[in-house]
Amino acid sequence: MNGVDLDVRAGEIHALVGENGAGKSTLSAIAYGAVTADEGTVEAGGPVGLVHQHFQLIERLTVWENVLLHREPRRGPFVDRARARKIVRDLAARHGLAIDPDAIVETLPVGIKQRVELLRELEREPRILLLDEPTAALAPGEIDAFFATVRRLADGGTAVLVVTHKLAEVTAYSQRVTVMRAGTVVARFETARTDAAEIARAMVGGELPELAARATTLPRPRLVVRDLTAGESTGAISAVSLTVDAGEIVGIAGIEGNGQSALADALAGVLPYTGTIELDGALVPSSAGPATRIERGVRVIPQDRRHEALVLDWNVRDNAILGRQEYPPLRRGAIIDRGVADRYAKDVIERFDVRPPNPNAICDGLSGGNQQKIVVGRALAGEPKLVIAYQPTRGIDIGAATLVQSRLIEARNAGAAVLLISFELDEIFAVADRVIVLFGGRVAGTFARAELDRGRIGALMAGNA
Amino acid sequence: MIAVALALLALMLVKATPLIYAALGGVLSERSGVVNIGLEGGLVAGAFSSVVVAGATGNPVLGACAGVLAGALLAAILALAATRFGVDQIVAGTGLNFVAIGGAAYGLVVIFHQPGASREVTNLGATGSWTLVVLAFVLAALEWLFLFRTPWGLRVRACGENPRAAETAGVNALATRFWAVVTGGAIAALGGVYLSLGELDLYSDGMTAGRGYIALAAVIFGRWNPIGATGAALFFGFFAALQYTLQRSGVPSELMQALPYLAALVALGGFAGRVRAPAADGVPYVR
Amino acid sequence: MRRGLRDVGLAIAIVIVIGGLAMIVAGANPIDGFGQLLDGALGNPSEIAETLVQTTALLFPALGIAFAFRAGLFNIGAEGQLILGGMAAGIIGVIVPLPAMLAIPLTLAAGAVAGGVWGGIAGFFRARFGANEVIATLMLNVIALLLATYLIGGPFKQAGATASETASLPAAAQLPGIFPDSRLTLAFPIAIALAFFLRWVFRRTVFGYELRAAGDAPEAARRAGVNLARTAFVAMAGSGAIAGLGGATIVMGMLHRFNTGLSPGYGFIGIAVALVGNLDPLGICIASFAFGVLQSGAIAMQAMANVPRDVISIVEGLVIVALAGRRVVAARRNA
Repeated sequence: MNGVDLDVRAGEIHALVGENGAGKSTLSAIAYGAVTADEGTVEAGGPVGLVHQHFQLIERLTVWENVLLHREPRRGPFVDRARARKIVRDLAARHGLAIDPDAIVETLPVGIKQRVELLRELEREPRILLLDEPTAALAPGEIDAFFATVRRLADGGTAVLVVTHKLAEVTAYSQRVTVMRAGTVVARFETARTDAAEIARAMVGGELPELAARATTLPRPRLVVRDLTAGESTGAISAVSLTVDAGEIVGIAGIEGNGQSALADALAGVLPYTGTIELDGALVPSSAGPATRIERGVRVIPQDRRHEALVLDWNVRDNAILGRQEYPPLRRGAIIDRGVADRYAKDVIERFDVRPPNPNAICDGLSGGNQQKIVVGRALAGEPKLVIAYQPTRGIDIGAATLVQSRLIEARNAGAAVLLISFELDEIFAVADRVIVLFGGRVAGTFARAELDRGRIGALMAGNA
Repeated sequence: MIAVALALLALMLVKATPLIYAALGGVLSERSGVVNIGLEGGLVAGAFSSVVVAGATGNPVLGACAGVLAGALLAAILALAATRFGVDQIVAGTGLNFVAIGGAAYGLVVIFHQPGASREVTNLGATGSWTLVVLAFVLAALEWLFLFRTPWGLRVRACGENPRAAETAGVNALATRFWAVVTGGAIAALGGVYLSLGELDLYSDGMTAGRGYIALAAVIFGRWNPIGATGAALFFGFFAALQYTLQRSGVPSELMQALPYLAALVALGGFAGRVRAPAADGVPYVR
Repeated sequence: MRRGLRDVGLAIAIVIVIGGLAMIVAGANPIDGFGQLLDGALGNPSEIAETLVQTTALLFPALGIAFAFRAGLFNIGAEGQLILGGMAAGIIGVIVPLPAMLAIPLTLAAGAVAGGVWGGIAGFFRARFGANEVIATLMLNVIALLLATYLIGGPFKQAGATASETASLPAAAQLPGIFPDSRLTLAFPIAIALAFFLRWVFRRTVFGYELRAAGDAPEAARRAGVNLARTAFVAMAGSGAIAGLGGATIVMGMLHRFNTGLSPGYGFIGIAVALVGNLDPLGICIASFAFGVLQSGAIAMQAMANVPRDVISIVEGLVIVALAGRRVVAARRNA
């Protein structure tokens, strides 16, 4: 980050936008005081609260323990539990956010968890509130209510800085917008005098890259799922049935925490399930693990590349072959054929524009976008039959995201069946042939591309018919 | 018959006491997120230092205090390595045990001028010993109150579950972990004091005999709860007591001696997979 | 690579500083102490040979421990596996009369199998129940010694043996010496060959690739088709087999009989050796030699300069703490 100037006034909602990697989260961390800047000053006219993008909650403790940690009411040497519960209940009521103080955070749905996170900051009565991607876990319908709460806070004199990449929210709720790109401020706008397109152009520094074209395909059934039930408590799926044809992209729309992980993991063979999964008419037994599924042509792009897809300490080459090490020609008897490994690695690096284009580079040193390209590249190598892409463009810049989406479309054009699970409705709308809405672990609705209706889909995502 | 049962009960308490102290130290440490494999070393440090000071001053209570201090200092090495340097706690704890055991053996030669065992010193006597036994149970209750009813205990548990989240709430996770480990080491060392000045009146090489490791199993078996760990320690102590009582039966002595360790192994296999440690237990926290 | 060198520097610093301090406290002159240490280890060819004997005794368990470490598992039980391996060799070598060509491989194999079974028990507990292999192997260490004592004092008691050792191995089952007037035997080249073999396994084979993946990124490995439970079991069993093989070579080469006191803690020092060697087989060879110098020199140091041998244990322990490093043993908890 370089020479950034920013001011937020009391009573305003100020949006800070930029691509992933532009420096927004770093800036808000510096403003909060968690990170020190190399140069420059931060002046805050009162206590600062920060609601993080990834919840900083202690799952196994209760709501009141999380909200009042480090500020516990006391009775002698002990915690005054009764008073603690009262404080939390009153606080929640004051801000119009219903919550049960004794609930264990682990058991709460994601949207409620966010309330706890917010309450924790509000308890400290901040004059300045930083919100980092606050609506990631909210259904389209809940976003209004959330910003109503924020507006009330601002009206009370709080200065609010919202870090986000959702331009629809920026235009609807903020008074001023600051755009960052590659660590510097590139534009400032009065929200009333600009529009989403202008902001987007400032974010990207030009026109948006183009998505690959969708070819006409002759769909035929490839993946047939019947009555799939897997997982436990919140986040489980129940009696999910769906089909994905070869040459088709099916998008699973839904708020995080409604069963997407259970669905992806059951299909990948890492979560036990009941129900049937058939690939090209042949049953995939529920006991079949990832190795068998890989052999049958299933490829998975996991949600968390750092922990579920890559070995960060290894180089690009060794990561590029991960998943295919059991099969010839990569496997030659007991050993791994170096020539074939080099070929696989080069293939991924070239097709996916991995930078730096060095097979010996250590993955941990690559940017998130390039790491993700390796994960996607190796999943789409060869001719996979079924690709399960779970949040394939999470946390990467627009250029890399568009490349990944284009490659998924190309795989579809070439006859792969693609199941795209994403929390970004825009991504699904851009890419999918059909959209299935998941709510509470069940299929809530199915839409063909021609019937896509943001309002109806948003309502289903929130659980309203 | 009653006499035999009472004798067995008494022996069980005697055998369990060092395990309880070590397990309580382990629970406190692990609740904050640091696995302390070095409990065995803590027992050694407590057992040896207390004998040295009791021998030098003739006062067993001073000896006990020295033992506690030694346990705290030894654990501070692990605490520093784990918090300031974020090293692998299990590997470091293992090293700590060697330092303690080697240090005690070295001390036997340098201080007592004889390898293998120290000379006899003034011990705590029957009253002192039984005080330590009762104190173990009192400490278990206090530790429970601390962890589950006080603000500092809440912060300790928060660090053991999610130190990053705790820090966003204002808790200093590294300092909290440091003090939890050091205090845990001090508590564990009392178990060593009991072994050398309570049950006996000297220190000898190998007298801790892996009790620190059994205590680790007790921590897991007791689900990281001071009361549960005490119960588990009593359970293992029972097997150790049984070994003594059965010594004159026909069963080979080695099998008898192996009983507590076998019990711990079986308990581990039977229960381990189904309990959940504090989420950040054993995971180094690096700012 | 840079971290490896820094670690070695740290280890050397600990040896010199802590070792020196401990010597001073014991009333000895550190220069004298270290001098006697080095002289006792490297002063003349037969002393160097003995240092290589100690090197070999450390190399086996260290390689075994590194094998498990690379899979993300911590085998603290190498000592127990080594003891049982030695015991098996001591019993089989005496009981089964065969010419050397067959007796040696068979007896070595007996040691490897015994160690492998012992390691496999912990591996089974880990794979099947998700039990912590650290605590399991710690328990198994104690049980191993008790078991060995019982077996050779009871069911396998041999004529001409005392309570804590077996009878002498027949010449056919003894490892041939490779240096006159020393205890240096075929065990040394076998150990070096094993190191090269393991290095090849790690770098070139599919099995080695999957083992390392399981250790470095278990969740990614699982999703890439690696069977974590099976890998854990094989890693622990293999680790135990290597340590057991080491025990067998001690019995067949150094002592020519099994004795419950056959190891002054090689299985534990092996942990330090594995770490200083950065878990790389060739690095471990060099580290084994360094620690071999400490081991064989310590005796001279104690006799000549009046420094208790336990100084070495203290130093080794601190080396382990210092080198525990950021290599977090993967998924240690009930996973």
